[in-house]
Amino acid sequence: MTDSPAGRYPGYDVMDKRDTQSWDQVTRDVIDRRLAVPREPRFFTAAEWETLGALCARIMPQPDDRPPIPLPAYVDAKITERHQDGYRYATLPPQGEAWRRGLAALDAEAEEVHATRYHALDPDRQDALIARMQAGELTLPAWDGMPCKTFFEHRVLGDITHAYYAHPVSWNELGFGGPASPRGYVRMQLDRRDPWEAAEAHPGEEDRALRENRHVV
Amino acid sequence: MSSNPSSDPLAAPRATGGRAPDVFKVGGWVPMRQFDEDEPVDFVVVGTGAGGGPLIAGLAEGGFSVVGMDAGPWFRPLEEFASDETEQNKLYWTDERVVDGANPMVMGGKNSGKAVGGSTVHFAMVSLRFRPEWFKSRTTLGYGADWPLDWREMWDYYGRAERALSISGPISYPWGPKRPRYPYRSHELNGAAELLGRGAEAMGYRWTPTPLATVSAPHGHSHPCVYRGFCRFGCSTNAKQSQLVTFIPRALKAGAEIRDLAMVGRIEVGADGRATGVHYMRDGKWRFQRARNVVVSGYAIETPRLLLASATDRHPDGLANSSGLVGKNLMTQSNQAVFGTMDNEVRWNKGPPSLSITEHWNYDDAKDFHGGYCWMAQGPMPIEWVTIQTGSRGLWGQRLRDEMEKYNHSVGLKMVGEMLPDERNRVTLHDDTDQYGLRVARVTYGWSDNDKALIQHALGQMQTSLEAVGARDVFRQENDTNHLGGTARMGFDRQTSVVDADCRSWDIPNLWVCDGSVFPTVGGVNPHLTITAIAMRTADRIRAMAADGTLNHPRRAA
Amino acid sequence: MPDTDRTAVATSGIALLGLASIGAAHVATWAGRRWRPPVVQARLPAPLGRAAAIRAARRLNRAAGVLAASVLAATAGAHYRGSFQHRAMFTPLVTASLSLAVSAHGTADRRPSAHRGRDGVYVLAALTGVVGTGFHLYNVASRQGGLSWQNLFYAAPLGAPAALSLSGALGFLAERVRDTAAGEQPMVAGLPLGRVVAGVTSAGLMGTVAEAGLLHFRGAFNSPAMYVPIALPPVAAALLGNAALGASGRRRRWVRLSLRLTTIMGFVGAAFHVRGVARQMGGWRNWRQNVLNGPPIPAPPSFTGLAMAGLAALGLLEDHPDD
Repeated sequence: MTDSPAGRYPGYDVMDKRDTQSWDQVTRDVIDRRLAVPREPRFFTAAEWETLGALCARIMPQPDDRPPIPLPAYVDAKITERHQDGYRYATLPPQGEAWRRGLAALDAEAEEVHATRYHALDPDRQDALIARMQAGELTLPAWDGMPCKTFFEHRVLGDITHAYYAHPVSWNELGFGGPASPRGYVRMQLDRRDPWEAAEAHPGEEDRALRENRHVV
Repeated sequence: MSSNPSSDPLAAPRATGGRAPDVFKVGGWVPMRQFDEDEPVDFVVVGTGAGGGPLIAGLAEGGFSVVGMDAGPWFRPLEEFASDETEQNKLYWTDERVVDGANPMVMGGKNSGKAVGGSTVHFAMVSLRFRPEWFKSRTTLGYGADWPLDWREMWDYYGRAERALSISGPISYPWGPKRPRYPYRSHELNGAAELLGRGAEAMGYRWTPTPLATVSAPHGHSHPCVYRGFCRFGCSTNAKQSQLVTFIPRALKAGAEIRDLAMVGRIEVGADGRATGVHYMRDGKWRFQRARNVVVSGYAIETPRLLLASATDRHPDGLANSSGLVGKNLMTQSNQAVFGTMDNEVRWNKGPPSLSITEHWNYDDAKDFHGGYCWMAQGPMPIEWVTIQTGSRGLWGQRLRDEMEKYNHSVGLKMVGEMLPDERNRVTLHDDTDQYGLRVARVTYGWSDNDKALIQHALGQMQTSLEAVGARDVFRQENDTNHLGGTARMGFDRQTSVVDADCRSWDIPNLWVCDGSVFPTVGGVNPHLTITAIAMRTADRIRAMAADGTLNHPRRAA
Repeated sequence: MPDTDRTAVATSGIALLGLASIGAAHVATWAGRRWRPPVVQARLPAPLGRAAAIRAARRLNRAAGVLAASVLAATAGAHYRGSFQHRAMFTPLVTASLSLAVSAHGTADRRPSAHRGRDGVYVLAALTGVVGTGFHLYNVASRQGGLSWQNLFYAAPLGAPAALSLSGALGFLAERVRDTAAGEQPMVAGLPLGRVVAGVTSAGLMGTVAEAGLLHFRGAFNSPAMYVPIALPPVAAALLGNAALGASGRRRRWVRLSLRLTTIMGFVGAAFHVRGVARQMGGWRNWRQNVLNGPPIPAPPSFTGLAMAGLAALGLLEDHPDD
């Protein structure tokens, strides 16, 4: 049991349910493998890894009172293990190549404006470059014909946020029940929760939510 | 993973040695008849999903020798479907496809399955009938194309499909002609479904619990639904009545063979102009299965891809393509949504995502565009939800985190809307190749002005409904589409269609197409029940033709 | 185990204990039962013999108790499922417990006059059922769709609180029967008691059949056994109703047989529901979901309670003719 900080769902940890009827063996195995993702790059170079790390930290900033979800490692794993989306925009190269080109281009854009690589910029400047990428305004030759906006929408946002919300720690923040098999849910109506669902801390009832979330099993 | 090949359905074929996986038992097997590749079987069916599954079962039950091929693995849901969005990507067709056009289509989980049972393994179970007029939409409503099928006959086959799939539905359905009672009662509603009802009532529209292909009480070996909410990621309880747990077991019992991890790359056509069998890759080797008839049931991307890739000197534009229509008139359905935040705890992930529906605008023609739509309650899982937040609002950083944390208070309505056929929307072959060495599909799509008008109308209606129930911070998801149709449409003659009413190709009498590709129009409801009904009808028609001697020699007007 | 789960388990425990104590009281009296008085023929309702009146009263107490136990356990489960959203949802647990307790007391009691405390509880239980029906009606009406099939299936069950009223009514009638032990004629509100009990029981059986029919229809009659409780009890109810209106003092073999079968069916039904829970995903290991969403185990014994009351009424009709 890890006490998550006072948020909407104080004390709620979906991992507490790991050994209950809410998790079956196949799900336990899947989550175990996910939590054991290699933390070192297998696809990216050291320089790309720095840029990717900085980008992940701006796209999904994480609280500093818990170990961060290793987002770059999941992006790397998706490429290394060839987990494809099932479609590719005609203007984008395959995912590994798109990432490689995009990260290099982001560094080139940072060098161009601030004479330093992306990861060395302060967060505001990093955000400003992201905003220009999202608006489709980055056009240095390093993009090599790949529209920065398409890259941002379908690689940066997709791969990083999907990795974040695939991690059990993120489910705690949402009060999401997480795995549910064989046990699903009983109380379906508005404003009802099963005892194995996260209790939300309504104003003035934080202690009660904390108490209930310790028994979410 | 253990080294036993049968423990990893993706590593090696499971349906070998006279047995196939028993989907109802952990580690279980059932006997399966097997056929010799060199002896022609009566039918080889490419694809085992919404269309292929019922057809294989129907043909085998009619006494034909049938081999079904599926490029995907044969899962045992009880032990292999994790409660996890990312892991369950294994159910989708994630092989490379190239998308372009003015509105490039999102593929993968939105519309393509790669498993025995096809997309029905991960579909949202919504099982609706077409409005009768849609079978003659050109004649009666003035748009699209007429179907060569009569709605009254379809009404009968819808009933058969609903019984075969043990659909759980309301006692009386508010729209359309009378239909028999659904075999199972509708499910209890969740909070999101209640809010749809409240909004619809505020607007003066009727609404109803959605007819769903998941049982509300025990059925055979299926457990009733436990409302875990991971329906779109594979049902681990077998409550979902996918083809994998309905028609496929029937097919095996009737003596069909189904080959998993069998990717068909080419249909062979002999000197007499008739199909002679299919080339397929299984276990790392290209093989050839001889057959007296070939049925393509790969859905609206893979079906035209296979027909186009099977081009010969005699058929330079692909098989069954004298009309030039193979791959054309690709349709998807508008799947836009409106979301908002409630003061209530909605906890919308509980239960099937689309528990209630209003088909009001499928049956009300007082609008200034063609086509209809329905909308349903929503219950996305976290990754689906973040995709909506980033895709529709472009959020990232702290703002994204803050919005995501409203998850349990979020509510949404999502449409399924009719898009009109347009020859410019099409499937062609791209020069890139996939892991089998086959050219990948290029999918080109753009929305027409009518499509856009329908979408805007629906978004406005759904927003009104959400606001009527007190949702705050309402926003629109404008870019989503779902389901497929077209690309091998059925019709009345060989000039304007690819297959006839019986799904037989005009050009090659022993080549058939049986899946959503044959839809001339897609209507404003999810297509699965219509595909199933057509496949059941096709099986009956083939049995009847075999009986009266017209199976091999169709009687046709020149 | 969370506190709320403990509440549910505890209430089920109380219900089981109550049933057991009724059983024990019954066994004790059976062991020491006395000679049965001969049947007295008369034109007016014959005054009951002292022993006969007490025996009939205790049989009715016992029937009321079985019904109360069924209601208590079923309501505990259903209202726990409903998160005890309103405080009033505890009320039937209290009154059903009390009804169960006084029924056990009455089953063991051989004194020849009504007990004021028991009378009070029975009236309270009957009223709780009436008020509960009102609450359930309000719940159904306030759901989206109002009085629709969907809400009849899944909102508060309209017929359920009536079972508590029936328990109270049968208990109340038990006390009236007991009052006749002093030699009064067995009448209530100007009607012969045997006929009144038979009539109430017959109507109660039909109501319970309607409830079971609705819920088994919701379950799509997925097992042929689900037709039994809508096939057998109506026969018993009809025969008993016929007896209530017909000539008294006759042996009615078929009525007795159908009521006995209904008594047994109630317990067998509970066993089927135990199997039904096992049939849900995760079976009994997933009991925290399946006991609530599967078939309600304590519900079928309602038929047993009613059939037992029917048998007691039949005894009154047969042994104490009024015509």
